Amino acid sequence: MITVDKLRDFGANVEEGKQRCLNDESFYITLVKMVLGDKQIPELVAAVNSGDLAKGFEIAHALKGMYGNVSLTPIYKPLCEITELLRAKTDVDYTALLAEITQKRKELEELDK
Amino acid sequence: MRQAELRREKNLSRNVLIVDDEPLNRALLGRIVGDRYNVLYAADGKEALDVIRENKDVLSLVLLDIIMPNMNGFELLAVLKGDAQLSKIPVIVLTSEKSAEIKSLELGAVDFIPKPYDMPEVILARVRRSIELSEDRNIIRATEFDPLTGLYIKEFFFEYCKEYDHYHPDEKRDAEVVNVNRLKTINELKGREFGDLILKTIAERIKEKAEEFGAIAARCDSDNFYIYTKNLPDHEAMLKDLSDYLKQKTGSSKISLRMGVYEDVDKNEVIEQRFDRATIALDSLKSGYSSVLAKYDSALHDKELFGEKLLGEIETAIEEKQFKVFYQPKYDVSGEKPRLCGAEALVRWLHPEHGMVSPGVFIPLFEKNALVQKLDRYVWKEAASQVKLWKDKFGYCVPVSVNVSRIDIFESDIESFLVNLIKESGLSTENIHLEITESAYTDDSSQLIKTVETLRADGFKIEMDDFGTGYSSLNMLTKLPIDILKLDMAFIRHMTENPGDRKMVKLVVDIADFLAVPTIAEGVESEDQLTILKDYGCKIIQGYYFSKPVPADEFEKFIKNDNCR
Repeated sequence: MITVDKLRDFGANVEEGKQRCLNDESFYITLVKMVLGDKQIPELVAAVNSGDLAKGFEIAHALKGMYGNVSLTPIYKPLCEITELLRAKTDVDYTALLAEITQKRKELEELDK
Repeated sequence: MRQAELRREKNLSRNVLIVDDEPLNRALLGRIVGDRYNVLYAADGKEALDVIRENKDVLSLVLLDIIMPNMNGFELLAVLKGDAQLSKIPVIVLTSEKSAEIKSLELGAVDFIPKPYDMPEVILARVRRSIELSEDRNIIRATEFDPLTGLYIKEFFFEYCKEYDHYHPDEKRDAEVVNVNRLKTINELKGREFGDLILKTIAERIKEKAEEFGAIAARCDSDNFYIYTKNLPDHEAMLKDLSDYLKQKTGSSKISLRMGVYEDVDKNEVIEQRFDRATIALDSLKSGYSSVLAKYDSALHDKELFGEKLLGEIETAIEEKQFKVFYQPKYDVSGEKPRLCGAEALVRWLHPEHGMVSPGVFIPLFEKNALVQKLDRYVWKEAASQVKLWKDKFGYCVPVSVNVSRIDIFESDIESFLVNLIKESGLSTENIHLEITESAYTDDSSQLIKTVETLRADGFKIEMDDFGTGYSSLNMLTKLPIDILKLDMAFIRHMTENPGDRKMVKLVVDIADFLAVPTIAEGVESEDQLTILKDYGCKIIQGYYFSKPVPADEFEKFIKNDNCR
């Protein structure tokens, strides 16, 4: 069961996220659960690994907005970084960034168990 | 209170559409704005367009994401911008991209909300402000135009003319006023719908021609069109074009237009004055049955300046007694010898600079500028003190009638003023008759009739002046408070050669008989006229045949010679 304390320990900016939800804690948790239901991170990894940087940008951009809105900072930060790189179609090794995003996402999922 | 403020005050619900492909973003934004607004949702541009079209009349705002599948935010903005109705709905773009802002602005977005979202208070404030601005703008747009014709209303028209001049200071411009002749009568005879059709048709043609003539146009004062055009070589052609178009579209050839033009306007004058001048030119035209045009020229300009000068001098003229009251005798011709039986007090202006100014010039001027009451009261006072003098000098005096303008009757103190005047002058109400023109009775007259009845109850005799020029019905005549009918002099003038006028005179005398009141014929100049009038049974005659209006000292001779005591 995910809680605000667990999220705080995870590194999320819970206060900011709650404020955005009109300080409604249960609504904030609902939104975080919506994030947990989202399956786009594997799609991002697949797109980038296959060299489709345009598609990768679209997905990263959407994810950045979503994770930003619930202030899940540990995932939001690398998403911001990768979005800018993909926007410019920068030819770099994305492995480390994708791994960080995937790892942090796993940790988030663990919080709900 | 304005409609928008009223709606805000009552917190009447407004609808806000949230367009975002991410469910989380939609849910969060929906929660933030849902407290204050009804929220609709769409997951992409295409879905959004359907919702917007369906709710276009009730949608207050769209919150729009840019990067979406199917139709993205930019594509949707472009569609909205190209649609006259949909472009009125304000759109706030949701974006984390600085680069998207310029493009969104170009496509008509009114504001931005960054992602991740601002705090809810900030979002709500931006939403509220955008809705208010848009509603105010739409209200202003709606009030700029005359709802019937779609042309500007006068106030906005003048503002747009001023703005045009500001950016085109050296361009020659013309001011035109176009009037539909007798629109009120047309409305009466053919119905208001037909009258409205005429106005709409003229406006339609003006709009079609606006570009060609470089025109800005308005409908003003119900039946006038104000048009501010570039300096045109041929205004007659424009008038003809309007008349022909009107004939073609309405199928009626009986509608005529008048056009007053002030060419190559003096831009040192304020815009309102330029159109006043075009109106002066228009007013110089008679309301006939063919379309006619008049230009504001030096003669009209001189007349206008002269009028302005006279208006400015009325106070001094009254103080210095430049207005002289003349008296024209009335004779009873029913016996063997004509006998003096009354007089009409008529005002003359002996101007120190311009000599005798015709009442035909200054009375309409004073009537138009609400100064006639002042002059009328001055005349009443002068006449009353003169009658008193004659009574004292000769031991009696015939009744003297004074003119009472329609506007005088609506002064709340008219009764007390006249009653006090009689009392203070040491007279009785028999000594002063009141002349009220027939046309005064026919415009919405219930209050007027009430006042006249009160004056009659005080003992004043009421003479209905200019009878035959108004539109009194026989039924109405029987109800009107009158003691004497005065035949309009226009009928007398041509009665010897015009059988129609003779018939009219006979008819009026018969009406007076039916009402059991005497008739006075004024403007009688010849023996022939007198003979006919006597033959018809008219008993009282006024006119040059007996005497022109004369100053008080000359009138004394008539009293002295009078043998009617």
